[in-house]
Amino acid sequence: MTKSFTKVFFSIILLFLGISQAFSQTTTLPAIYGKVIDAQTGEPLKGAVIALDFKKSGTKTDSTGKYKIHLPFGEYVLKISYVGYNPYRTRVNLKKDQELNVELNDVTKQLEEVIVSSSSTKKDIQTPSLGVTILSLKGIKKLPTMMGEVDVIRSLQTLPGVSSVGEGSNGLNIRGSNVDQNLIFIDDTPIFNPTHMFGLFSVFASDAIRDLELYKGGVPARFGGRSASVLDIKMIEPNTENFKMQGGIGLVSNRVMAEIPVIKEKLSVLVAGRASFNDFLFKLVAPDNLKNVRANFMDIATKIYYRPNNKNTISFSNYYSYDYYRVDSLFSLENVVARRTNFDYGHQNFAVHWNHYFSPKLSMMLSGSTTLYDTKTYAPDTVNTINLTSSINYKNLHASFDYIPNEVHKLNFGASITRYDIKPGTLNDGVVSRVSKVYLPDEHSMEAGLYVDEEWKMSEKFTIQTGLRYSHYWQLGEGSVNVYAPNQMPSLNTIVSKKTFGSGDVMYSYGGFEPRLTMKYSIGKDATVKFGYNRMQQFFQLLSNNTTPLPTSRWKTANEYIKPQKSDFVSLGLFKTFNENVYETSLESYYRDVQNTVDFVSGANLQLNPNIETQLITGKGKAYGVELMLQKKKGEMTGWISYTYARAFSQMIGDFPEVQSINGGNWFPTNYDKPHTFNAMINLTPTLHHSFSFTFAYNTGRPFSSPSGLYEIGGKRYPVFTERNNDRIRDYHRLDFSWTINNPSMRHVRWEGSWVFTVYNLYGRQNPYSLFFKSTKNGVKPYELSVFASPFVSLTYNFKFL
Amino acid sequence: MLKRVFQIILSIGILSFLVAACVFPVTDFVQKDATSFITIEADITNEIGSSKIRITNSANRLQSVLMLPVTKATVYVTDEKGIQTVFKEGVVTGTYMPPAGFVGKVGSSYQLYVKTLLGTEYLSDVETMNPVPSLENVVSQFELYDQYAKGDPKRVGWSIYLDFKDNDREGDFYQWNWKHYEKIQICATCTGGGLWNFTKNECNIPRTPNDQIWNFQCDGNCWDISWNNEINVFSDALTNGQRIVGKQVARVPFDGYTDYYFRLEQRAITKSVFTYNQSIISSVQSNGSMFDVPAETKFSLNIKSKTNPSERILGVFNVYSVAKKIFFINRSKNIPQGERATVSPLLGDVYTCPPGAVGCQERVPCFESPTRTKIVPEGWNL
Repeated sequence: MTKSFTKVFFSIILLFLGISQAFSQTTTLPAIYGKVIDAQTGEPLKGAVIALDFKKSGTKTDSTGKYKIHLPFGEYVLKISYVGYNPYRTRVNLKKDQELNVELNDVTKQLEEVIVSSSSTKKDIQTPSLGVTILSLKGIKKLPTMMGEVDVIRSLQTLPGVSSVGEGSNGLNIRGSNVDQNLIFIDDTPIFNPTHMFGLFSVFASDAIRDLELYKGGVPARFGGRSASVLDIKMIEPNTENFKMQGGIGLVSNRVMAEIPVIKEKLSVLVAGRASFNDFLFKLVAPDNLKNVRANFMDIATKIYYRPNNKNTISFSNYYSYDYYRVDSLFSLENVVARRTNFDYGHQNFAVHWNHYFSPKLSMMLSGSTTLYDTKTYAPDTVNTINLTSSINYKNLHASFDYIPNEVHKLNFGASITRYDIKPGTLNDGVVSRVSKVYLPDEHSMEAGLYVDEEWKMSEKFTIQTGLRYSHYWQLGEGSVNVYAPNQMPSLNTIVSKKTFGSGDVMYSYGGFEPRLTMKYSIGKDATVKFGYNRMQQFFQLLSNNTTPLPTSRWKTANEYIKPQKSDFVSLGLFKTFNENVYETSLESYYRDVQNTVDFVSGANLQLNPNIETQLITGKGKAYGVELMLQKKKGEMTGWISYTYARAFSQMIGDFPEVQSINGGNWFPTNYDKPHTFNAMINLTPTLHHSFSFTFAYNTGRPFSSPSGLYEIGGKRYPVFTERNNDRIRDYHRLDFSWTINNPSMRHVRWEGSWVFTVYNLYGRQNPYSLFFKSTKNGVKPYELSVFASPFVSLTYNFKFL
Repeated sequence: MLKRVFQIILSIGILSFLVAACVFPVTDFVQKDATSFITIEADITNEIGSSKIRITNSANRLQSVLMLPVTKATVYVTDEKGIQTVFKEGVVTGTYMPPAGFVGKVGSSYQLYVKTLLGTEYLSDVETMNPVPSLENVVSQFELYDQYAKGDPKRVGWSIYLDFKDNDREGDFYQWNWKHYEKIQICATCTGGGLWNFTKNECNIPRTPNDQIWNFQCDGNCWDISWNNEINVFSDALTNGQRIVGKQVARVPFDGYTDYYFRLEQRAITKSVFTYNQSIISSVQSNGSMFDVPAETKFSLNIKSKTNPSERILGVFNVYSVAKKIFFINRSKNIPQGERATVSPLLGDVYTCPPGAVGCQERVPCFESPTRTKIVPEGWNL
C-alpha cells in the first residue's frame, strides 16, 4: 500500500513538472506558423498535416488552412501533406517565430510526366488505337540503366509484351515476334541492327530522341513491310528560339547534343553524338589477355529544321552509327585460317521531310529517305587475308495526307514506294589472298504500298478506325533462279536448270491487301473497350539461326522459294483510369498467327551461300497472351506494375516433312517463349534535387534443348538431342536501382549538372542466359552462361546548358 | 595510381561484359527425357587395322558410361565392284573387325550393311574414299595464351600449325586427330593404405583406410595414350587447290620438360562426315556463347533402316583416307622466362616388397586399354 502511494505521488510530481515545463514553452518558445492553400485555386486546405522530423503525427491546419507550432530552438525537417496533393518538405532552422505559407499541388491536376502510356492518355482517348505504347525520353531517363547508358531497347523491355531472348541479346521480341518482324524507324528511316556491341547497347543516341511509339497491335495502315510491330522513333525538332546544349560523361560512352537556332523562329540545327572511348582504355590499362581486343562504337544524329512560314516545314535528318571490334577468335568465317578477326558495321540514314498545311482540314507530308547498312568482316593476315562485305541499300519515297472534313471523320491516306538493293556477300573483292573470291550476285527488289485509314466517330461512345493497305512486291533482275527437279527437295543435287533474268526484269512478285481495324467503345468517362484486327505482310527477312542474330547476319527479300510472311493479329483491350487519371489500368489480350516463317535445316550454311533456299524450312508461328498493367502516373511516387502471360510457338513441317520437319512437325516453343513476366518500376521524387528509381523484372526461363541421353563415337561422348526447346532454364529476376541528383549546387545558373548513380542487378543474381552441354573426358556436362552475373555499379554525369 | 583508378573503372566498365559473362557448371540438372538409340560407328580407312564397325545402344542417361553392345549382328561392306567384305565380331562385343590385312582403297566406294539378331536391317549410302594430301610442314611453336592466369595449364603450351596442299578438285573435306604416348613408370596407385591385389587386379580396400598412398611400378614398358578432345574439320570451299598455311591442328600441354611424342593424323573425309562433325561442333564445342545455334543431333545421316525408315540411327558411316606424321616436340627450348611446366608431383610412395617377403609382388602389369598400351608406339625412338 505504501509502495503504491509513493508511486502515485511521484507520478503527480512528474506530471506537474511536465505541465509547468510545457507551460513555460508556450510562453517563450518560437513558433512556425502559416497557411496551407491549393496552388491552383488558392482555396485554404483544412486538415493538412504538418509533421516534424519524419514522424507521422503532428499538427493539422484549421478550417482557414492555418497552423501554428511552438518548438524549441533548433533545426527541423517539416513535411506538409494533404490527401491527393503532392507533399511539401523543407528544412527549418528555428531561431525566432517564422512564417511558412505553403501552396500544395493537386496531384490530379498535375501535368503527367508520361514515362509510358498504354492507351488512355489524351492523345489516345481521341483515337481508338490499341496496343500502342508511347515512351517519353524524359521517362526513360528515370529508369535505372546498365553501365550508365540510357537505353531505349532495354527500357522497352520493362513493358508488357516486349521481351528478348536474354540479357545483352540483339533486338526485341514483341508479342511473340521474331526480331526481324519488328519495323524500327528513326525519323522514317529503318534500322536493321538496333544495337551496339553485339547487342549490349541500343544504337540510338538518347539525347536526340523526342519520343517513341511502339505499335504492338493496332498498326496504322501507313506502316507496312513487317509482320508484327512498329517502333517509331522520332528525333527532336531543334529549338528555333534558344541555344541549348546537353550531354553526359559515362563509363561506356560520352555524349553531347546541341540545338542551335540559325535564323530565329525559322531555321535551327540539331547535332547529337555519342562515342565510346574504350579503345583508349584498352590500350592503356587492359590486362594482357584483353590487350588485343578493340571495341568501339559511335552514333551521330543531325537534323536541320526549317520553317519558312506557318504553312511549311522542311527537315533534313541524318543518322549515322558505327561499330568496330577486333577479337581473337570470335565468329570468324568458317573454313578459313585466321587468328584474329575484325568487324565493322553501321548505318547511314538520311531523310528529308516536307510538311505542308493546305488548310486546317488538309495537310501533306512528303518524305524521301535512304538507309545504307553495311558490314565488314576482315582478317588482314598475310596469305590468308579475308575481307567479307555485305550491304543493304534502302530507298523510300512516301506521300501522306491528313484530311479532316469534320469533327466526325478523320482520314489519312498515302502511297509509299521502297527499293532494296542488297549485296548479300562479297569475299575478297580486289584482295590478294589464298582464300577465294566469292561474289554473291546483287539482289534487287521493290515494294509499293497504297493505304487509307479512316477514323469515324460514330457517337460519343463509339469510334471505329478502318484501314486498308495494298502492298505489292517485285523481285527484280538481273539475276538467276535455280529450277529444282519437281517434287524434290531443293538441294545442290536436284538443280535441273537455271532461269536467268535481265536487268530490271520482274523475276517474281507477290501482292495482297492488308486490312486494319480498331474499334473503341467508351463505358462511362474513364473506361474503354477496344478491339483490333491487323493483317501484315513481310517481304524482307533476316536469316539467322543463332540464339540472337549477329550484326553480320544476312537479310533476304522474298523470291520464288521464299514466300512473304503473312500475319493475322486480333486483340481486345480494356482500359480504365481512376482518381482523375492518377491511376491507369489496362488489360490487353491478343492472338497472332503467322504464315511462311522460316527456320533452317540442321547445320545450315547461310553465309556466302548462293543457293540459300536449300537451307530453309518454311513453317508457321502462333503467339497469344494477356497483359495486365497498373500505373500510377502522378504524384511524388510514380510507376507501374505489370504481369504478362505470353506464349510463342513455331511449327516447322516444310515442303518435305520427312527430311525437313523440326520436332517431328509438332509445335515447339520459340527461344523467346517466356510464359510469365512480371515487371515493376517505382520512381520516387521527394525533392526537386533527388529522385530514386527501382525496377524489378521477373520472367520464366526461356526454353532450351535438353538431351535424352548420350552416345559414344570415336572414343568421345556426346549428348543426344531429340527435341528442340523441350526444357527451360532457371527463371530470371533482377532488381535495379538508380539515384539521380539534379543540380547538386542548387543554384540557378545556365549550367545545370546532375549525377546518376546506378546499380544494375542489385542483388547480383546469376541469371542464366542459356544452358548448354560440353563433352568432357568424363562424359557430358551441363553448364549455364550468365551474362551479367554480378551487380554493376556505374556513375554518369549529365549536364545541360540552357 | 591513375592507372589503378582506370583499371577499376575499366573492370566495371565495358570489359566487364567480356569478363563477367560467366559460365557455371550446373549441378542439379534433371533430364527431361530418356531414350536409347542404335549407334553405328563405322570406319573404313586405308590404314591397316583401323577399319572397324562398332554397334551399340546409346545410353539414355547423361551420367551413364555403359553403352550396351549390339552383338551377333551380320555386318559387311560392299565395294563398287560388288565385292563383299564381312566384318566379324571380335573379342570386344559389339565391335566387328574385317579380315586381317583389309584396307580400303582411295577412289573405291563402299556401302555398309548391318542386320541385327532381331532382324532389323540397316544400309548406308555409298561413300567414296577421297585421296588425302600429305602433311607438308608441321610447326610447333611455344605460345602463351595470356587470357589464362599464371598457373592455369591452359596458359602455356605448344601450338601445332600445319601446311598442306589442298587437292585441286573441289569438295575436299579434312579432319585432324592426334595421339600422344607418354611412357609411364607407375602402373597403379592405391589410396587409403590399400595394396594392389594381383589376383583380382585391383586395389584392396583396407578396413580402416589411412592417408598412405602406394604407387606400383610397371612390370615392363608401358605407355599412357591421350588424344585430342576437340573435333577439328575443314572444308576447301573457300580455298580450293590452295596451299593451306598455318592451320592450327593441336595444342600440346606444357606438363613436363621431356620430348613429347606426337602422332598427327590428317584424314580426307566425306561430305557427310564433315556435316556430321560440324553438327557436333556446334552442339557441344563452339557453344556456350550468346550466339549458339540450336543444339541438335544428326540422326540417320548416311545410314538408314531398311525395315523401319523412320527409325532414328546415331552414328555415321565414315570412309576416309589417312596421312600421318610422327614427331617429337622439344619441350625444353624457347620457353619464355618465368614460365614453367605444370608438373603434377607423384603423391605417396613407391611400393617395394619388404625384404625377405615370400611371394611378394611389387610390379603391376601394363593392361591394354584405349588409354594404355605396352606395344611400342610407331616411331618411338626415345
